[in-house]
This record gives sequence, C-alpha cells and structure tokens, in this order.
Amino acid sequence: MTETYSTTLQTIINEFKNITPEITNTFIFKKNGEIIASTETTTEDQNKKLIATFNDIVDQAENIGDIETLTIQGADSQLSITSMNNRYLVNVSSRAADEKMVKMLTSVIVPTVVKLVDQISELSGSELPQVKKPEVKPVEEIVLPDEQTTQSESILDMSASFSSEPMLPEPPVNQFMIEKIGGLLVRCDIVRVDSEVIAKWHDIYGDKEITQVHIETLEGKSIICGFKPIKETSHNAKGIIQFPEKVLQALQTSKGKLVIVKPVITSQGEKIVAAKNKRQRRWNRIN
Amino acid sequence: MQQKTSANAAGTALTNQVSVTTIDGESSAFASLSASLAEIRKLKGVIGYILRSNTSAILDFTGPDEITENAILSSQIHDSCQEIGKQFNLGEMESVLVEGENVKVLCMSIGENNISVFMEKSATHSWIIKRILM
Repeated sequence: MTETYSTTLQTIINEFKNITPEITNTFIFKKNGEIIASTETTTEDQNKKLIATFNDIVDQAENIGDIETLTIQGADSQLSITSMNNRYLVNVSSRAADEKMVKMLTSVIVPTVVKLVDQISELSGSELPQVKKPEVKPVEEIVLPDEQTTQSESILDMSASFSSEPMLPEPPVNQFMIEKIGGLLVRCDIVRVDSEVIAKWHDIYGDKEITQVHIETLEGKSIICGFKPIKETSHNAKGIIQFPEKVLQALQTSKGKLVIVKPVITSQGEKIVAAKNKRQRRWNRIN
Repeated sequence: MQQKTSANAAGTALTNQVSVTTIDGESSAFASLSASLAEIRKLKGVIGYILRSNTSAILDFTGPDEITENAILSSQIHDSCQEIGKQFNLGEMESVLVEGENVKVLCMSIGENNISVFMEKSATHSWIIKRILM
C-alpha cells in the first residue's frame, strides 16, 4: 500500500464533510484490519474496536455470502460499512443526512475511486509501453493583438487538456490564392473565404461552431483569425481568400501568393473558456 | 407447520420445516410479533425468521442446517451492533441490515424481543420494518 494511495483516499473522505456536513466520521480499512484512511473525529483505538466487532460478524456470515454492506440505524445516528475490493468503508452520519447522498458517496463514488486507484496502482507496478511522441514541425505562430486572436490562444491551451467529447474528423485543408481587400467597412482582423468551402466545413462538422480559420503560408508562418464568406455578388470566389492589410502584414505575404487554410473547430468546453476570457477582458477594460 | 414445546421440556424441537422453542409463558408483545412475523414469512423472498425474547424463541426456516447457522449469525449481529451502537453513540438501535452476497438479514430489537428476518436480496426490507412496527 503506497503512501500516495492512502493520501488519495484520505483526501476523498475529508471531502465528505464538505459535501454532507451530517457525516461525522469516515474511515477505510483493509480486510486484515489495517486502517488506510480516517477522519480525525475518532481515535484509532475506537476504529480498531469497530473492526474487531465487525469481523466477529463476518466470521459467522459464511451462510449469507461475504458481507457487502452493514447498516445500523440508531435513533440519533446511522453507521454503514460497505465492502469495496478487499476493503471496507465505514461511514457514520446523523439521521438528518440526505440518505441518497450518503448512499451515493458510500456505494458509488468511493468504491469507484478505489477501483480506479487500484487499477492505476496495478498499471504503475508493471512497465507501461512507451508511447513515441510525434515529431512536431516547428511553425512560427503570429498572433494578432485583438479580441479574436486572444480567444484562439485559450483554444490552443484547451487542446492539451482531456476532452470527453467524441473525436472529430481531421479539418479539411484548402489551398487558396490571396487577394487583398480594403475599405471603411472591412474589419482588419477578418478574412473572407469562399462560401461553398464554408458550407462544406459545416457539412463535415454538423452542429460544431466554426468561427475561426487557421492560415499558414508556404514559408511556415501561421495565424488564426475570424472569417466571413466572400460576397458572391461582387466576386467569383473560387480558389480565392481575401486578406485585409493587417493580416497580410502579419503573415509577411502579399497578393497572389498561396496559403493553406483549415477551419478551427470549437468544442463546447472551449466555447466556455473563450466566453470566460472574453468576460475577463471586458472587465479589465472597464477597470 | 409450527410446533411449540414446553419450557420444562427444555428442548428444541426441529422438523424439516420449522423449529420452535418456548421456554416460558409468552408476553403479549412476543405473541403479537410472532403473528406479524408469521405473516411476513409468507411474503415472496422471505427465507425465514428468528424471534427471541429472554424467555422464548421462535425459529422458522425450511431446513435444520440453516437454523443453527442463522441463529448464530443473528445472535452475533445483535450483540455486535449493540456494542458498535454504544461505541459510536448511535442512540437506541432501530434496525440493522446486513447484506451478504446472496441473502440479506434485517435485525430489529423491540423491547426485550430480538427479531431477525432472512430474505433474498430482491425483497423489500423497508416494508418489512414498517410491518413489524405496526
């Protein structure tokens, strides 16, 4: 039994009181009587006495199969002992405690965590196969100092963390020729993309929101920025991407050159982080 | 089928179906509880029961082998849980439920009478508690 293992269980049972203040005492012991984790509300001697008394019942319980749970309902408090993977969880709470919550903690959450910790311990005991890290091609990232690019930074940060969302298909890569746009109504941080290409992206990703594109020059410079469809009435948009002056400067490129463009897919979690960042920036501006 | 044996005989009568031992005169509480338990015994999933006072005991199980093992377990649960209750200040013990892999046991103390009902795990013990307390 490692110290880390014991600490993990100790942390969990310490949280019980925060979840349900009516829980007065919790401890975990092994079948051989060793106490793995315990709250400080009872003495070790008291816990050992309980283990000995409980074992007296276990010794006589062969005819009903191994004991899975024992629940004592007293007039003031209740005590439960739950078996979990060669260990027992003891929980004492007042009768005022939410029964469902106590049951959920003692019968679902802690046994699940114990099972997981056991599995991790087993894995760490044996040699894990080495995962070869893919070689990352160094790409010089340029970030525009405006609202939308800051949003893209948080998206990149999020990509490193675990996501429970289903795997999405690889973003399609399109190659476009640069055309310059300008004018009073043109935003300096928005590029314009063929609407047919945008429609294809939406077909691939369904409900996923696509608000930004990743643009990379053949020289390896890249940028993430917002996009809009090219106004079809004014232009034959096939194979063209329209850049404002600021994006051209950021990528150190010019009209007529080729760029590789792919959509940035925003997941639900990323959207939440992005919205949070947006609120933070607004708050900073106000102050 | 139930059999009752006089206390003076100081014996325990065992049949394939039921064993009943009466050591002395029955109190009204004991009689009332035995009637309730006889009704509970008929419920689906109930395997048997033990009713024990200071002077009398009724054990109702289908096989004689079960009787001995269940009687020892029942007695152990009552004694151990009384001790745990005192140790952790749980107050007066209302009920104890011990769930094994195959069977669960509901134990209650009503006055001087100790009750243990053995049942399948699918049986509803909360209803049995209510029925006993009625």
